[in-house]
Amino acid sequence: MKNLVLTFLLALLVVLTCVSIRRMVGGTPFAGQKPALVAIGGDPVPPFPPPPPKPTN
Amino acid sequence: MDSGIASYGLQYGCILIEAALIIYVARSSHRGRRGGVLLYLSCLLATALARHYALCMYGLASWQYYNLYWTTDFLLVISAFILVCLFFRRGCLHEEKMWRFVRLLLVFIFVLVAGISGLSFSHNFSHLFTFFFVVEFNQNLYFTCLVLNTLLYLLLQQIDSADDQLGLLVCGVGIQFAGPAATLALVHLTTGEGFAQSLAYFTMPLCTLGMLLVWAYAIVRVPGREVVTRSRATVLAEVTAVLNV
Repeated sequence: MKNLVLTFLLALLVVLTCVSIRRMVGGTPFAGQKPALVAIGGDPVPPFPPPPPKPTN
Repeated sequence: MDSGIASYGLQYGCILIEAALIIYVARSSHRGRRGGVLLYLSCLLATALARHYALCMYGLASWQYYNLYWTTDFLLVISAFILVCLFFRRGCLHEEKMWRFVRLLLVFIFVLVAGISGLSFSHNFSHLFTFFFVVEFNQNLYFTCLVLNTLLYLLLQQIDSADDQLGLLVCGVGIQFAGPAATLALVHLTTGEGFAQSLAYFTMPLCTLGMLLVWAYAIVRVPGREVVTRSRATVLAEVTAVLNV
């Protein structure tokens, strides 16, 4: 049980490190703009669809 | 015009090398041990051909290309993750205790990546949730493969692995993943200047080409662990025979 918890915490650390690295290098997609993305292969990335309209009250 | 020719040249060069490597690995006697490499190369080749067809038929801004691009991107990152897992398995071939720990760790990592990717967009884009989840998941899994590959390289150094071929294959994957990430960081630091943008345009196919060349060298020229072990055993037998004489 203790090993399981430790493994889970280590996995969480790895994943949070990955997400942090991604945020640090600016890899955040934004709808409607040219996204900052990394991809496998060298094919051109298609443009994103426009963002959804905000609901008006 | 020149950049277009260079881009097409890179694309066709990658397709040719991928096809040649697939044929070589499929016909070799060690294809079972290189199953991950064969799977990943097949995914790369099928993706490149399908995207090229969709791009020529429907255009960059079409819905068909958009769908195909993100679906194949999903397949590519999943196959890359499987490849890294199989490399971990090959690296821990004689370390069963370590492999049990690593296997559980990889399962947790995959589940956590899926969970975090779902959380980050569930509040913002409800009607396009599926698409943005796929994009977010692909990007997170890409960086996860990058970090895991680096950890695997460090692990191979730590256990002093005799499998030189695996070391080179891991280095090839490192080129494929680290190059685009480093270019993205450069674009971010230079706030998207023209030079960085044009560099990013060529980096991804160049990194794929670099990985394929390293893999071609590793598969064709560098013996795997089994070959090395056999040759050492042969040498030992020869030395024993000489000593007995």
